[in-house]
Amino acid sequence: MKFLTTDPVAEASSVLYKRCTIDLRSGTTTLEDVPCRNLEDVLGGFGRSFQVLAERKVDNAYSAENPLIVNTGLLTGSSAMTGMRTYFSGYSPIKGSKKGLPSAMWSTGSGKFGAKFKWTGLDELIFENRSETPVYAVIRETAAGPQVELKPAEKLLGLSTHDKIMALQKEYADAHFAVIGQAGENWQNVYMGAVALSTENQLKSGEDKCRFAGRGGMGSLMGYKNIIALVAQSSDKLKSLSPAVKKVNINVVKGGGSTRLQPLSRGGGGGTWAAYDVLQAFHAVPLNNFRPQGNALPEKLCRENVEQDYEIKSEACFRCGITCHNNVYAKNADGSRGEFLAKFDYEPLNLLGSNLGIHDAGQAARLIQLGDNYGMDSISLGVTISYLLAYNERHPEKPLLNGAGFGDYEKIRELVIRAGEGELPEIGKGSMRLSQATGETSYAYHVKGLELPAYQPETNPGYAWAIAGGHMSMATYGLLTREGKSDLDSWVKGITQDKLHMVGFDMIGLCKFFDIANGIGTQMVVDCLKSEFELEITTDDIRAAVRRAFLRGLALELRQGYSKEEFALPAEVYEHPNANIQLPQIATPEFLDELQRRVWAVFEPELEDLSL
Amino acid sequence: MQIRVRLIGAFRIERFKEEIREVASESRVQQIVDELQISNRILGIVLINGVHAGVEDILQDGDTLSLLPILGGG
Repeated sequence: MKFLTTDPVAEASSVLYKRCTIDLRSGTTTLEDVPCRNLEDVLGGFGRSFQVLAERKVDNAYSAENPLIVNTGLLTGSSAMTGMRTYFSGYSPIKGSKKGLPSAMWSTGSGKFGAKFKWTGLDELIFENRSETPVYAVIRETAAGPQVELKPAEKLLGLSTHDKIMALQKEYADAHFAVIGQAGENWQNVYMGAVALSTENQLKSGEDKCRFAGRGGMGSLMGYKNIIALVAQSSDKLKSLSPAVKKVNINVVKGGGSTRLQPLSRGGGGGTWAAYDVLQAFHAVPLNNFRPQGNALPEKLCRENVEQDYEIKSEACFRCGITCHNNVYAKNADGSRGEFLAKFDYEPLNLLGSNLGIHDAGQAARLIQLGDNYGMDSISLGVTISYLLAYNERHPEKPLLNGAGFGDYEKIRELVIRAGEGELPEIGKGSMRLSQATGETSYAYHVKGLELPAYQPETNPGYAWAIAGGHMSMATYGLLTREGKSDLDSWVKGITQDKLHMVGFDMIGLCKFFDIANGIGTQMVVDCLKSEFELEITTDDIRAAVRRAFLRGLALELRQGYSKEEFALPAEVYEHPNANIQLPQIATPEFLDELQRRVWAVFEPELEDLSL
Repeated sequence: MQIRVRLIGAFRIERFKEEIREVASESRVQQIVDELQISNRILGIVLINGVHAGVEDILQDGDTLSLLPILGGG
């Protein structure tokens, strides 16, 4: 980035970002300094990429018109803690309207690739068209600035995400990697392909500890374009820590935002299992395709039970003090730590565990590991399989595919493998398409074509207005459970005012655990931007930019053919209310109708004023 | 007066799952939290008889107080 001003709000065009556009058809590369249009462009991430996507008319995700945009946020690669995010944006193969048009989408992950990418001197990389042959892109820093080169990638084909990264590591020193797995290579039959991002821990240990940009099938889009991997090669360029950023980082580690994620040994909430424990207290842990039974079954995957047979080690991303990774290892016969199995995040643990009727931690870990190695979004994968299992339970006389049922580990494992190999488009194309094919859509747990995370929709009508991942782009998932809000006023305010600010993290390069409760319109972020770039920005400026970016996402959804009826929860939620969930039943047709009316009454006038 | 205290998740470690507790009348939730040496930093949800409440709420004889850790996304 070049800053010719300290006031990016009034003089956005005096901030320029370095963009490289590669035409994969011709192989031509164009490097340019692009003046920013507004503060969203300056901040980066989806705030910028969605403005590029808004300029395109795309009817099919797998078409030449659909770009793949790889970028970072302003604080990616900075000394601000958690500044490691890379963003992948494009029109999604999996998320789309009933009219059949793809939705604009972004996905993001940590690992060290984003920082390395930024340190090459590049801020954004746009892939146009499609390569005829498999290639990977090498982004390098040189004395003359960043350079991007395409190389043949045949040797990488068929390898898992982890094996691709380890193969590239042998060839490129001082580099980090973003790769697809076999799932992304089989993009025709797999719409839920993820992008795996390498981590320091992975490169040093040789263990498959990638991070993932999973949501929305950006790995499948990458596969369609025949881009198998990205290599970012650069020296590390971390600035020395200023007193202001040091103070912020201490707040991040010790403040309220990350407390839940810190290990118990540090006085934190323990991360993954805090969600399990709390939701189970309300019998709201998804079980057997989002139908909690009011029993203790989910507790089999609670930490105290997992620890009896496995070792759990809390680890962190590069240079991050929030040790949020609960890495699960086998225990050797002598009690020592054995093979690394998987990282237990709440979503994969639940959606590839309890929600499939799998209550054995080792089996859940193996399913997570398989999905990760094939490079599939664990949320879409888990929820599509849980739909299939629910269908088979309802149709024992004529089950689908291999006839798998809840808890049938071997058959579920076979489904994951065959989906990853591209042999099961019924799974690979996601729950919306599978349920449309069976004609039984009410218990397909997606909203707007994107599978739901592991928070019961009964507890979160806000999913309807999430513009990307269901809970990570609309933070209403705790409004009922955590805050006890069951009145319409609180929900309208939550959706239209407070909770949409979650998406700000996906503009600026920070992980949400930087300050999950407050978003990025805070003094901590203002202080970082001042210290790192001497920018004069207020919290109000940031909040206004985040709101515009969110509304732009909503406007893009409407432009891609979503009707208001599609801003809804799965029908089973109100057709067959689940009495086992011990929270106020707010997901009634009456509540949802009134919520629709009042939320749109707030958003629609602003959408009319928004130019795409 | 007596109340029933239920602890959830990590709060049970080196404490208890559920117990009947003798407390002074007019006790507030915060007093119980302090007695149990639970940090407010990781206290996420307070329920009194299954209904969301706050640490300043006053307890009544026979109440069931549930203390839950922080819930967040991810």
